[in-house]
Amino acid sequence: MEQNRNKRNLKGSAQDVAIRLGVFFFIVLLAFVGLSVRLIFITKDNDTEYQQRILSQQAFDSKTLNAKRGEIIDANGTVLAASKETYNVILDAKQLIDADTDINGNYDPKCKTATLNALESIFSIDKGELNAYIESVPSSQYYIVKRNVSFDEMSRFLPYITKPKKGEEETSLYDEHVCGVWFEKYYTRFYPQGPLACDLIGFSLSTGQASYGLEEYYNDILTGVSGRQYGYLSDDSVVEVTTVPAVDGNTLVTTIDANLQMMVEKHLKEFALEYKDNAREGFGANNIGCIVLKADSGEILAMASYPNFDLNDPKNISEYYTEEQIKQMEEEDTLKDAYDALWKNFCITDSYEPGSVMKPFTVAMGLESGRVTGNETYMCNGFLEVAGHKIHCHNTAGDGLLDVKGAVAKSCNVALMKMSSAIGKDIFLDYQSEFNLGLKTNIDLAGETRTDSLVFTDATLNESELATASFGQGFNVSMIQMAAGYAALVNGGYYYEPHVVSKILSPSGSVVKNIEPRMVKQIVSSKTSDMIVDYCNAVVTDGTGWRAKPAGYAIGGKTGTAETLPRGNGEYVVSFISHAPADNPEIICYVVIDRPNVSVQEDAKYATIVSREILTDILPYLNIPMTEAVSDKEREELLQRELSIYTNRVAMEDASGNEVNEEAKENEQ
Amino acid sequence: MAEAVRKRKNKGSYFDFTLLFILLFLLGFGLVMVYSTSSYSASLDYNGDGLYYLRKQLISAMIGLVMMFFVSFLKFDIYKVLAPFAYGISVILLLLVKSPLGHTAKGATRWIYIGGFSIQPAEIVKIGVIMITAFLIIYLQNRDDIDNTSFKYIFIVLAPGILAAGLILFVTRNLSTAVIVGGIAFSMLIMSTPRCFKAYLLLILALIGIGLYVLFLYLTIHKTGDIGALSKVGFRSERILAWFNPEKYADGKGYQTLQSLYGIGSGGVWGKGLGKSMQKLGFLPEAQNDMIFSIICEELGLFGGFAILLLFVLLLYRILDIATLTKDFFGNMLVGGVFAHIAIQVIFNVCVVTNVMPNTGISLPFISYGGSSIIFLLTEMGIVMNVARYADFTISPNVVKRTGEVKRANLKKRRGMRVKQKEEGTEET
Repeated sequence: MEQNRNKRNLKGSAQDVAIRLGVFFFIVLLAFVGLSVRLIFITKDNDTEYQQRILSQQAFDSKTLNAKRGEIIDANGTVLAASKETYNVILDAKQLIDADTDINGNYDPKCKTATLNALESIFSIDKGELNAYIESVPSSQYYIVKRNVSFDEMSRFLPYITKPKKGEEETSLYDEHVCGVWFEKYYTRFYPQGPLACDLIGFSLSTGQASYGLEEYYNDILTGVSGRQYGYLSDDSVVEVTTVPAVDGNTLVTTIDANLQMMVEKHLKEFALEYKDNAREGFGANNIGCIVLKADSGEILAMASYPNFDLNDPKNISEYYTEEQIKQMEEEDTLKDAYDALWKNFCITDSYEPGSVMKPFTVAMGLESGRVTGNETYMCNGFLEVAGHKIHCHNTAGDGLLDVKGAVAKSCNVALMKMSSAIGKDIFLDYQSEFNLGLKTNIDLAGETRTDSLVFTDATLNESELATASFGQGFNVSMIQMAAGYAALVNGGYYYEPHVVSKILSPSGSVVKNIEPRMVKQIVSSKTSDMIVDYCNAVVTDGTGWRAKPAGYAIGGKTGTAETLPRGNGEYVVSFISHAPADNPEIICYVVIDRPNVSVQEDAKYATIVSREILTDILPYLNIPMTEAVSDKEREELLQRELSIYTNRVAMEDASGNEVNEEAKENEQ
Repeated sequence: MAEAVRKRKNKGSYFDFTLLFILLFLLGFGLVMVYSTSSYSASLDYNGDGLYYLRKQLISAMIGLVMMFFVSFLKFDIYKVLAPFAYGISVILLLLVKSPLGHTAKGATRWIYIGGFSIQPAEIVKIGVIMITAFLIIYLQNRDDIDNTSFKYIFIVLAPGILAAGLILFVTRNLSTAVIVGGIAFSMLIMSTPRCFKAYLLLILALIGIGLYVLFLYLTIHKTGDIGALSKVGFRSERILAWFNPEKYADGKGYQTLQSLYGIGSGGVWGKGLGKSMQKLGFLPEAQNDMIFSIICEELGLFGGFAILLLFVLLLYRILDIATLTKDFFGNMLVGGVFAHIAIQVIFNVCVVTNVMPNTGISLPFISYGGSSIIFLLTEMGIVMNVARYADFTISPNVVKRTGEVKRANLKKRRGMRVKQKEEGTEET
């Protein structure tokens, strides 16, 4: 027995194994101690650092939720600007590669092939190009495959990555190999009416940023507040995803009437094209602007200028410049100036000398101050010598003997100079500021100019300046200043702050704010106002503005022809400001043509004709009753116009439902 | 003869409750941690069912416990008969992975589907290798014609382990499991035979080989920064490069390791509190599996990590104790194999998690999520309990526990025997 045991011991035995196991155990203990030391060091050296790294990783989980920019609609609910959901298609190349690589690193591009095929079939992207990208940057986690994908297009991809419900497996496109694709949602701005009211609306190319017009002025109200989504660990140690929802932007309801706006723009464009390349190269005028507003509230009904641009593609200037010119401008770095010139709103940003449109203002000063009674008569010999200068009347032959009404109707400079000398410097300056000339009207549009440095001050207004100022030379105003002032002159003397937005609606449609007409002050008495209306009516019935009379309506107004600086090179700004109806002004329409493209620019008829065209369209549209007899020829013309308005409107309604404004464009051309 | 029969009857009554309690504690703790680490990803992946992984793990643990008790009540002698079959069946199951029964998950084909259950045969192979190696050792040592320090002996003992490791590598392309299987066989070889310098020589040669390879990578790519050379040496090398500097390879192979270190480091001494890990929220891949130790350290701090290591020390000590007190050589080798398996896997796992070793997928025994792993680990523990229950004890373990003196005496006796044996050995040569 003992012998046997010894032999086994020699060969190795349980007891021997136990000893070696003990050594083994000792080694294991040592390893554990070593690992414990390692653990201590990891913790000790990097405690806070690693904690921060983890926290910074967590931050990736939070993301911004874009707010939807509010709409801009016209007085009748026609959408002028809106936002729609669009998506960027993002590819996570790393996820694709990882999915194709098994734990042992074997690579099999099943997922890549499936995903690229799916992307190609839905978004028609170049598979080879994308594949090349994945291979060159396999670690990329954010690659924009396609931008600006509509919701419909995006949702056609969803079946590939959505697990089918029970019973739908067979018809489903679902492919578990399609992965690494996700969609980034954001909003893009689009303008269903294309170029309609472009200067007035302005545009917003990227989230939160807006340029020009209503978009810029009301940017904060339109933008809304972006939300945030972030995950954190709750007390129950569950990841809670907290969403601070985005607050969508508010909607602006404007006083603009899209139909009216369209009529106005149509006639401006007609003029620009009619006189295109007439006396010089270029459109019918450097700029043409028109403001239509309500006389007794300052609400803007239409505000337009030409050239215009498509709000959906504001950087496209190919309509106005050849490719060579654009290239040249790029080289000379003047492209920005070209954009500025195109995008600005001529009606509020440009200043010019108003010319004879100033005359009703000068007369109103005289009547209001009592220096002119209305019963005076003035003798015009064609010129007046003031402080040694011979200042001519535009009718160099002289207008003869004129009363105040006749002076306005014939637009006699001499009579006005005599009136201004009666009024005197101090009263003129008082009323200049009373009529808000040179100051901002505070219209709710971005980019309104302030011309206070371009109007007279006590130091600059000398005798001869006072004389020329009476007929609107020597100082600068903006269209909106004149229109707002003239509205006050003819509406009984009440100066209203012009405005474009009448209501601000919440995203759900409830009214956030009503913007009522704001009467700032009474600048003249109603008696003076009545007299000015009477004088201005004479301009159309017996004076320089006779061409402006639209069929069926009696209107009043005042022409203006102002020589631009430098004097003497034959360049003029011609204009016509009008009110309708004649006896009880409701509508003010102001047309300014900056240097018409004709050989002799010094003729207000260009402005009066455009005014007539516009008024003939808009007065019946506004349901202002006709008071005057209409000839057969005029009746025929009115019918034609009414028909064309309907076709335009149908086109517009079609267009507002579509993204691309093809039909409207065709109609315009 | 009659005495022998009486002895046997007595033996069956012993049950190692200490071992059972340590095991149950580890299992329970593992389930808690599996729930903590997996509930977030489970609720994402399984429609808000945060209990998905826990449920599966709980079922596996139950099956494992049943298996453990079943195995521990088998007649001990059966194992000797069973060993070749266990090995053969496990290898066949492993080969089935390549058959249509094979099942692929997470890009790796490592499972087979049988009757609605997916099993990872590599885990069964570990038991098979332990049993067959023990069987071979006994067989060879009972033969007088084979010297147990010769290369022939070494080769035969290692053969089933190396074959199984090779198959695992070939069939499942799972290097880490192959290394563990090889490690178990080698550990058993060293335990089985005294002063087997040739075996140590093999070990040293292997270590030098690996060391040279790592040094080569370190000098050629890590030092020079020439990543392009990587394609020549194969993708596994990138793991080694990532091991040198995980931050540099944070986009690729270093990511998991780096996240694991973040987890451990941010836990501090006392941890963020149970369930409050942030790394488990999708940042640390395989958080409930290979990387569970990192989350334990993040949630329970160094304290929790040490506690787990201590539990494993206790477990291994109990296994060692059983091995120490077993007179039966075969039983001894079986327990030694299980000891080696658990020790190697725990050490490797913690090494990977703490970036002491290049990243490779090794789970933490009894704690990591994984059905096959837990079922067959518990089966192995059943074998250990069986040995404790039935195998021939020099002295009743109950007596030993009560009186340490007896144990010391026993050890002294053994040392005496070894001296004697040594003398005899020298005489022989």
